[in-house]
Amino acid sequence: MAMKKFINDPANLTSELLEGYTMAYSNKVKLVSDKLVCRVNEKSKDKVAIVTLGGAGHEPALEGFVGEGMLDVSAVGDIFAAPGPPKVFEALKMMDRPAGVLFVVLNHAGDVMSANMAMKMAEKEGLNVKMILTHEDIAPGIDTPDEDKRGLVGCVPLYKIAGAAAEAGASLDEVYRVAEKFNNNMATLAVALKTATHPSTGESIFDLADDEMEIGMGQHGEAGTGKSKIMTADETAEIMLTQLVKAVGAKSGDKVFAMINGAGATTLMEQFIVFRHVKKSLAEKGIEVARAHVGEVLTVQEMGGFQMFLAKMDDELIKLWDAPCDTAFLTIR
Amino acid sequence: MSEVNFDMLCRIMSSAVGKIRDNHEELTKLDSAIGDGDHGTTMLRSMESVDTTIAEASGDDVKGLLYDIGWNIMCCDGGSTGPLLGSLFMGMSDGVEVETTLDADAVAAMFRAGLEGMSVQSKANVGDKTMMDALIPAVEALEAASKEGKTIAEMFEAAAIAAKQGAESTKDMQAKFGRARNLGERTLGFQDPGATSISYIFAGFAEAINV
Repeated sequence: MAMKKFINDPANLTSELLEGYTMAYSNKVKLVSDKLVCRVNEKSKDKVAIVTLGGAGHEPALEGFVGEGMLDVSAVGDIFAAPGPPKVFEALKMMDRPAGVLFVVLNHAGDVMSANMAMKMAEKEGLNVKMILTHEDIAPGIDTPDEDKRGLVGCVPLYKIAGAAAEAGASLDEVYRVAEKFNNNMATLAVALKTATHPSTGESIFDLADDEMEIGMGQHGEAGTGKSKIMTADETAEIMLTQLVKAVGAKSGDKVFAMINGAGATTLMEQFIVFRHVKKSLAEKGIEVARAHVGEVLTVQEMGGFQMFLAKMDDELIKLWDAPCDTAFLTIR
Repeated sequence: MSEVNFDMLCRIMSSAVGKIRDNHEELTKLDSAIGDGDHGTTMLRSMESVDTTIAEASGDDVKGLLYDIGWNIMCCDGGSTGPLLGSLFMGMSDGVEVETTLDADAVAAMFRAGLEGMSVQSKANVGDKTMMDALIPAVEALEAASKEGKTIAEMFEAAAIAAKQGAESTKDMQAKFGRARNLGERTLGFQDPGATSISYIFAGFAEAINV
């Protein structure tokens, strides 16, 4: 079957999407050296810079969150594929400054390999960079070692937390500390309903029967923990929420940040219906949803499903979330 | 033939590129079963950069050529394929002198250095359903054949067979690394696309040597 997407030559997907994005939001972002999405109004050099890397095809993530109060540079690879170490090193070098760079990496094989090689190059040149790895997917099991857990949508609120600390003038150690605190208190679980088409090949990225869903599906269609028949929003939300609450260790009296991230083909209507259950179910447990976000943050083309994200928050983290930011896809005033 | 020189190295590399070009659709199909289905296009993009690197190379600097091949593959932004393949060729570069012709022992040593380069990026071993399942037996076959005093053509023939068998053996394995890891038992019965790519690269080397 022919691929139903509004694209041109599949070989130019990433370059054309980055061109279009930076044209549309030219007041906020610019494209440097083909694959580096950077802030237009650059952060002053006496503040820590926040850099990340990742594949394309997940819009608005990751480059949609470049801007004041969040990311300084996003190094973009190809569709679902990490940028190579030379490009990542270029991003780190471009942001080199005495205040230092916090380098946020999602735990996926290609991302980590590129990041580690780029870090070696950075060390050789004496750059002041600290790397932080997100690994909040609990699909393989809560007690699974960190290196076996994928980094999902949690990187985006982490950019916000780290970015706010950096804007406030915190040192690299301090920015790293709050980012790592958030990192250690967050968890994500995904559910898939419908497959997506890989825009480079036109092939479906996984198979799921019409009446099935799969909890734990990754953001490239990697399989999760098991297929089941489709359940209602409330039933699905409750299964996922129970595991997330356990993972972050939230109990009565605690405050959390809750997020529903649409995968691409799940409507906002559905996402709000799911969120409604999350809020109510947490209230019954005495857990307060202190802050929330619902919408498409990190997508997988037209995949049906969503990622449910939970983070245990303290006053310091809430204050950092509330600090102003101005990016194309998240603005807080 | 008893030696590999700069021109022969270029020829075997281009042959490997051709082998990937001829089979990239199959690689993508294999990846669709246990990955996200883009291995063929990524391999093709990465290996086609080898042809460009060769076209721009001058002189007979074997070490520099291998380094440039590795670096330019990593510049293709191909997820884990870039660092893995790139470090294979950059590792091979570490294992040779600047202007040199390689005898049988030196060829085996060059590929051993390549394997060590890739091992820095991948902790996988034989049995983990990765590129290593083809690369490790191929390098071992080169070393064994060189010890037995075989010709370079015979060495590459043995390496291609070992790599092919290694790639086929991944059908019975469960993935332990990369995106396929999350599929666990569901990867059984499917040949690993990365190992298959390595076996095509060695098949390309062997064909060019035998011509």
